[in-house]
Amino acid sequence: MAVPRVLVIGGGIAGMEASLQVASAGYEVFLVERRPWIGGRMAQLDKTFPTLDCSSCIITPRMVSVGSHPLIHLLTLSEVIGVEGSEGDFRVTVRRNPRYVDESKCTGCGQCAEACRLKGRIPSEFDMGLGKRSAIYVAFPQAVPMKYAVDPERCLMLTRGRCGKDGPRCQEACPQGAIDFEQEAEEVQIEVGAIVVATGFDPFPPEGKPEYGYGRSKGVITALELERLLSASGPTAGEVLIDGRTPKRFLFIQCVGSRDHQTGNRYCSRVCCMYVAKQAHLVKERIPDARVTVCYMDVRAFGKGYEAFYERVQRDGVIYRRGLPSEVFERDGQLVVRGEDTLLGRPYEEEVDVVVLAVGLVPSQGAEELAGTLGLEVDEYGFFQEADPNDPVLSPRPGVFLAGCCQGPKDIPDSVAQAFGAAARALAIIKGARGG
Amino acid sequence: MGPRPGPWRSSRVQGVAEALTGIYLCHCGTNIASTVRIRELGLRLEALAGVALVRDYPYMCSDPGQEMIRRDLREGLVRRVLVAACSPALHERTFRRVLESEGLNPYLYEHVNIRENCSWVHSDPEQATRKAYELIRAGLLRLRRLRPLSPTSFPVTPRVLVLGGGLAGVTAALDVLEAGFEVVLVEREEELGGWALRVGRGFPFLEPLEGFLRGRVEALREHPGLKLYLGSRLTGLEGFAGNFTARIEGPHGEATEEVGSVIVAVGFQPFDARRKPEYGYGRLQGVITTVEFEEMLQDGGLPEPEGVAFVQCVGSRDKTVGHEYCSRACCMVVAKQALLLKQRRPETKVYVLYMDVRAFGKGYEEFYERVQRAGVIYLRGNPGEVFERSGRLCLRYEDTLLGRPRELEVDLVVLAVGMEPPEGVEGLAKVLGVPLDRDGFFLEAHPKLGPLDTYTEGIFLAGCCQGPKDIPDTISQAHGAAARATQFFHQGEVVKEPLVVEVDHEVCSGCRLCEAVCAFEALRFDPGRRSMSVLEAACKGCGACAVACPSGAIALRHYRFEQMLPWAEGMLIEGLI
Repeated sequence: MAVPRVLVIGGGIAGMEASLQVASAGYEVFLVERRPWIGGRMAQLDKTFPTLDCSSCIITPRMVSVGSHPLIHLLTLSEVIGVEGSEGDFRVTVRRNPRYVDESKCTGCGQCAEACRLKGRIPSEFDMGLGKRSAIYVAFPQAVPMKYAVDPERCLMLTRGRCGKDGPRCQEACPQGAIDFEQEAEEVQIEVGAIVVATGFDPFPPEGKPEYGYGRSKGVITALELERLLSASGPTAGEVLIDGRTPKRFLFIQCVGSRDHQTGNRYCSRVCCMYVAKQAHLVKERIPDARVTVCYMDVRAFGKGYEAFYERVQRDGVIYRRGLPSEVFERDGQLVVRGEDTLLGRPYEEEVDVVVLAVGLVPSQGAEELAGTLGLEVDEYGFFQEADPNDPVLSPRPGVFLAGCCQGPKDIPDSVAQAFGAAARALAIIKGARGG
Repeated sequence: MGPRPGPWRSSRVQGVAEALTGIYLCHCGTNIASTVRIRELGLRLEALAGVALVRDYPYMCSDPGQEMIRRDLREGLVRRVLVAACSPALHERTFRRVLESEGLNPYLYEHVNIRENCSWVHSDPEQATRKAYELIRAGLLRLRRLRPLSPTSFPVTPRVLVLGGGLAGVTAALDVLEAGFEVVLVEREEELGGWALRVGRGFPFLEPLEGFLRGRVEALREHPGLKLYLGSRLTGLEGFAGNFTARIEGPHGEATEEVGSVIVAVGFQPFDARRKPEYGYGRLQGVITTVEFEEMLQDGGLPEPEGVAFVQCVGSRDKTVGHEYCSRACCMVVAKQALLLKQRRPETKVYVLYMDVRAFGKGYEEFYERVQRAGVIYLRGNPGEVFERSGRLCLRYEDTLLGRPRELEVDLVVLAVGMEPPEGVEGLAKVLGVPLDRDGFFLEAHPKLGPLDTYTEGIFLAGCCQGPKDIPDTISQAHGAAARATQFFHQGEVVKEPLVVEVDHEVCSGCRLCEAVCAFEALRFDPGRRSMSVLEAACKGCGACAVACPSGAIALRHYRFEQMLPWAEGMLIEGLI
């Protein structure tokens, strides 16, 4: 008889949907998330293509459902470090890293973050470094669980052993006495019948394409950075500002870190064509007199309603120029893009205010190590390898299933469908085991 | 405007109890707040009688937003809740659950849509704000007259009806069976397998597919939990999630089956290339489709042409035939066929005429590169026409990379026909009561989080009938549909919303007019009582009977006349509150 519980690794949209699916069927779920909060990449997005639905409005209620479901045990700040056993009966070791905040006491009031000596001095990962946070923080106001966490890499108490002359202000400010610098990592053992891997992706690091000038010119940003600038809950409250000014000339470069031998990432990242179309539309909406150019190789608008959206964006006045630029540089303080228009068969230079790099999707950090722990393999790029190319849900190890971008780049509906699929296979293993 | 209670006022409304109403305004990020002036709106609403407080928050649906309402309920500040936010389709349930979690009846709740109805459709903040105010005012008048309701639960038939025995249907059916439930599978054709059976090899690994699919079909056929109807079709579906009765017509007459849920997996049909007469299909010798070429590759009937041209996007991305959408699989089908041809006949010149190459799946881009390295020549630009010239086929096209019209002479033209909804899909949609999208594929309930659900609870989608897709995506979706379709079987019962009609037996004269208008056979004449009785399980709450009843004996719960008329008045008249 299989153990009637499922382990889900990763608390992004795929992991959350898989968890809810299993829990709604009446079975227990352990949801292990490495970060202090769930939500993953989708929580960072402003709107979703092609319907322009607000991403937060879709995902935050799901986060609430996961956080409050009586059958879902949410293990944040946790990592899977050992898996033994086989389908139906896995024994999993999870390391729970300290939050340095007692979850049972924290009310999420935020007075600690206000009091922190480093308030406003640490770049916020959630805002892609464009906003600032404290050393004790929540990633965003709608985070689940609504519990603060201490950044052990930045907190003065944890890095230097002391915080100012008079001790840590956060501890003083906390009305609940929830902050505990003595917390230590602990290991817990859990038994489950099936495992769903949903560890997602990271954006391609744009430094890998030095010719595009990321890090050298302030006007060169990544698409995820633009996403945060577009977001109402982002660092600029939804206003697109570069260096304090509203830019008027935008140029998007597709396939940055995708379809590219130079970086070794030969694969297509599957979502960039459409997120660029969406962002181009949003830029036009916010800044109607903006000039927006998209440089592309092939426009891959293949999902439901995608082609129609791509047409709509072109009707909005967004210019699609075929051919990826060869370089981005500054001339007399002016950002210049140089490339060849392959339809006109002629080289060009275009002066712009912003270059948006449509960075591809790479496996999330640590995926390969986790694969080793799980006894799985990754492909040449580091994505989890499925057992059969025709069935992306099944991993080579019986009882372990794949969902979302950890198996390869995909958009939200495809990730969710796969997550439901992984849940279906997990349920088939643990069926009837409840109470038996 | 941060969270704060407004001034308390006593109700001027006589005879309506519990006017302690809390109003919660959602900014929806900037979606609402950039057009509707939240602060101004809040101040006007606060002045209305019976409004205990008005609060606002960037995302009411988030945890802190929900907690705001919970706290007010816990502290007894409010007894009824109105949230003005997005469409109720998105979050009415979210907020009803909030009331429930604090022990309040979830139906003492009104959801007002000020996003789709205000901020998204008006650009003038003045007008949008006024309209939002009027919508909320109307909602308040209805909310005061709402009554507590309790949901009813019914036992579930743990059996899934799978429509379609192609790759999606077979995969989903196997999952359902393996989860320990029964399957009734209805397939129009005489055998299982569908279009996938005609595919020789998969992409990008060129592995033979026959064993893969045949294995699944065999496993399915041998499963004792399967009841198979071949050469059959669904002619009727009644009931509701958990308890459907399906009517199936087949070679042996009509049968009925009881099922708890339905998976629609009726697939696609290839585009009829005759609808692009300029390509000469059916008229010119040597113009064939990718479907026919696939068969040639398998049965060895491959001709020996000197030159072959594949034409992409035939019936896809083409408004002239009413198909604006991309068919998603053709780019790779062509890449595969071109490579297999090149491998067998290296001396053949193989061309692909395309608009964009969409090689987006796992390993697809690498495969596309491999095909080009093998010598397949990709030419950007779709042909305007195909015609015969001195015994060969000539394609006239514009090479958009060279920016110049060109001609290409070959011996065989293979048209990459796209996918379209299968014949009879409109009729099936009617039987199921599930809408189709503008391209004729089945419409999913939510483009992001409900890609496999339909608007009808208990009916789910898998595979190409929801939109074109390739084999891995179809299989992934089919697994998912199986999970969705069996999720509530595990619980053994289904909870039905109490939004059904009720009959006042004192008033009902038994004229039976309502019986005729009910599309769900939910009203039955009770000869003993000489009045109508309602089958709650069958009633969908459409309200048609309530309108038809000449004596006003039928009321739709939650939408009673005494609830809706004040709502309508509230929309039009200031000063009722």
